[in-house]
Amino acid sequence: MRKVGIVGIGQSRFGQRSDASLRELSFEATKASLEDAGVPIDDVEAMVVSVASDELSYALQPSAQVVDYLGFNPKPSFRVEGACASGSMAVRTGWMTIASGLADLVLVVGVEKMTEQSTAAVTDVLGRAGDFMWEYPFGMTFPGYYALIARAHMAKYGTTEEQLAMVAVKNHHYGALNPYAHMRKEITLDKAMNSFTVADPLKLYDCCLISDGAAAVVLASEKLARSLSKKPVWISGLGLGTDTISLADRRDITTLDATVEAARQAYDMASIGPKDVDVAVVHDCFTIAEIAAYEDLGFCAKGEGGKMIEDRRTHIGGDIPVNIDGGLKSKGHPIGATGVAMAAEIAKQLRGEAESGRQVPDARIGLSHNVGGNGQHAAVHVFQVD
Amino acid sequence: MEFRYFSLLVKDTKVSKFAEGLERGVILATKCKKCGSIHYPPRHDCPKCYSDEMSWIELQGIGKLLSFTTIFVPPDHFSPDLEGTAPFSGYQYRPVPVGIVELENGAHIMGWIPEIRRKEIHVGMMLMPRAEILPDGRATIVLAAVGE
Repeated sequence: MRKVGIVGIGQSRFGQRSDASLRELSFEATKASLEDAGVPIDDVEAMVVSVASDELSYALQPSAQVVDYLGFNPKPSFRVEGACASGSMAVRTGWMTIASGLADLVLVVGVEKMTEQSTAAVTDVLGRAGDFMWEYPFGMTFPGYYALIARAHMAKYGTTEEQLAMVAVKNHHYGALNPYAHMRKEITLDKAMNSFTVADPLKLYDCCLISDGAAAVVLASEKLARSLSKKPVWISGLGLGTDTISLADRRDITTLDATVEAARQAYDMASIGPKDVDVAVVHDCFTIAEIAAYEDLGFCAKGEGGKMIEDRRTHIGGDIPVNIDGGLKSKGHPIGATGVAMAAEIAKQLRGEAESGRQVPDARIGLSHNVGGNGQHAAVHVFQVD
Repeated sequence: MEFRYFSLLVKDTKVSKFAEGLERGVILATKCKKCGSIHYPPRHDCPKCYSDEMSWIELQGIGKLLSFTTIFVPPDHFSPDLEGTAPFSGYQYRPVPVGIVELENGAHIMGWIPEIRRKEIHVGMMLMPRAEILPDGRATIVLAAVGE
């Protein structure tokens, strides 16, 4: 298989973007990524679009709006979907398109427009990413699913609500330094602990935001990547795992087996282990998800995720800095964009171009972890620079 | 009873007998005639041996509570705007906790926990899953206190 590198990254500002439509958000990210790569849209041979929800965008094949608006016709494009992991699946699909030899230059765009719908409507649509036939009838929402995970984790391992809140405090700290983040403000532990309960034990600040936004990466084959970029960011490992549609059906709801499987694949392919990772972005749709991710990715032993955040081992200066872009928690989670934004953020970190205060020094190996639904899909990618 | 009186939106399925079971007051699972695997939620088709021959069994007994939550921010289909038509609205408004129990045979069952004070619910306690017909004629599953 051919080696594939990231040569261009771009992102729109995330947030309640009442100034822009789905296609216009895509343009912001794409324009930035093409300028970064130094290539015109005419040179791009194929495109992969990640939009997670037809219901949020009010339209079937929302990707067609994006492709046309970017002036890409009549070249090949297709859309991939895996709820909140859609973006990483698009990166994987872009990687496959180049690794297979089908194309040398591929644009991957992730976008979601969520804030045109009410919170209740978004909660309903996202809830249906879970088991629509057997668990939706119990009023299950995404906060509800992750609350079940959190409660079980607390009972089994002694994880505390304070430890959950510490994840939010950390991610808001770094998010405040990220010009593209939705909620650029620090929060205190007190504020997080005293926010209203969404689904106990999860409170408002344990939950990620409902955001609009887009992200794009330009991928190139090795030879082209070296000619386009001084510092291509190679995608050296890819993993994709799956798990039961019903949360209740899981072997152990405190672990996302899809993450464990995806991590194993990605580490094997890249010939590295968790200790080799210098910087990571993980799927913190809820604070408990970040704590479980530490464990399921092998950053710490199972059950020690709460202690890991408490000991500040995932802050810059700790063992492995995590979500130094603010994470889904503070940067925002426009679901189709998230996985692509993760790839863009790791590339930025490995190129040493992140904003002051959130750049991990001398990072050479990065990891992204992106979960679809409440663990039905999980994608783990490893990125490296020469 | 039609399956959608349990599922809210899914009407057509090969396991609609599950809803008829709730109407009769029992929780049904399927058992693969070829490999013996028990499936809850019930499946018409076995993912282990790929047989499509199933028998129905009744799930019985008490189970250990694996986790629970109370959802204070409801989804659209449970929202107060839809009062009168919202499914299980009586339960969602209070609001009622939801939990998962594990039976001795390994089946995991999701259900509402309407009868126990929230402060007294804890992971590991034993609860009895049972079918329940709601005032609006819909069917669901309740995790009841043991010994009632």
